[in-house]
Amino acid sequence: MIDTAQLLHHTACGGVAAIGFGVLFNIGPRALLWCGASGALALAVRTTGLQLGWSLEAASFSAALAVGSAVQILQERIGVSRNTLDVAGCIPMVPGGFAAKAILGLFALTASSPQAPDQTLLQSVGGALRVMFTIGAMGTGLAIPSLLLRVRRSR
Amino acid sequence: MLKDTGEEEPTSLEEIAMLSMEFGRILMESGASARIVDEIVCGTASRLGAERVDLRVGYASLEITIGIGGEGITRMRKVGPIGVNQRLDHEVRLLAARVASSAASACAAREELTRLVRQTPRYPGWLIDVSVGLACAAFGRLLGVDWMAVGPVFVSASIGQAFRRGLARRQVNVFIAATLVAFVAAALSGLWARWLGSRTVDTAMTAAVLLLVPGVPSLNAQNDILEGRPTLGSARAVWVAVTLVFLTVGVWLGQLLLGEGRP
Repeated sequence: MIDTAQLLHHTACGGVAAIGFGVLFNIGPRALLWCGASGALALAVRTTGLQLGWSLEAASFSAALAVGSAVQILQERIGVSRNTLDVAGCIPMVPGGFAAKAILGLFALTASSPQAPDQTLLQSVGGALRVMFTIGAMGTGLAIPSLLLRVRRSR
Repeated sequence: MLKDTGEEEPTSLEEIAMLSMEFGRILMESGASARIVDEIVCGTASRLGAERVDLRVGYASLEITIGIGGEGITRMRKVGPIGVNQRLDHEVRLLAARVASSAASACAAREELTRLVRQTPRYPGWLIDVSVGLACAAFGRLLGVDWMAVGPVFVSASIGQAFRRGLARRQVNVFIAATLVAFVAAALSGLWARWLGSRTVDTAMTAAVLLLVPGVPSLNAQNDILEGRPTLGSARAVWVAVTLVFLTVGVWLGQLLLGEGRP
């Protein structure tokens, strides 16, 4: 079941985050709107996937694949570099929060008398693996459309 | 504008090598992936007259070997701190395309490259701070921060970004800067969110430091490995991991200050 309110909310947040980071990355004013669209598309696909019960990694992969494909199709028409749109669109999905929590958990294990060390270790390792797999899934999802296009061009 | 100076003399091997690598250096420092750097550098060298081009893209340097006829040279160029500047990256790629089409001299291309580095516009600092604050507030909502904590995340991340710019101007080591900025942003966000009665103080502290997460290098690392450059990709991945550790130390110190962490 799709929760439309949450989907719209996450889509808007993805767009705002992509535009905000677009300014930090010095993306041109005209391209910023496309970055926002790219971020919104990524979060819309990821949120839909998560609501359908997919794992974070699968949802992130699908979102990155959607962004990469849309950018490949639209890039020449809108005149903004592919890398710019790919990066800005996927930045809101980088699991930085998970990474920080995983490292904080490892710090907690080094205390003289850690609380529930088994559980903390499992959560930290689980979080770290989730970060690695999510970034891997995003990178692969983004790379597939451009690699396929390059194979077609080289034929 | 690029002008063809109409020089009759062929460009020297030295000039071809150094100019091509200048394109590559600027692209690397602007956050381009190794494939783009390789394409632009090798393409530029070929268009300037090189018959053979071999390039090695490292994390902190570029090395090129070019040859014309029986002669050849190898040169190395240091790469400075790697950041992200998409507008400069885009302009340099357009310049490389213009060099290819207009058959301009190496001298004219170098002048244009220098002008681009000097004159490519940047957003004003205050706008960057506010935008980063908004982005972190949006991130916060995606992570599940309640509405009471959205304001604190926005203001703290904006202050953190302004602080980061100040530290960069003073050329403070990027890893130390990450810890200091994370500490300030997390502590401010946590304090204010708690004062407003938020029930997601811990997540608000994390959301306020997401401006420091090296998203572009982590995606570039993955790209570089997938595209057959595992050495550079690994170097970028190590840089990302170390940045995350230093960032987390800052959050941890902030949590200790607020009594949220476990010593």
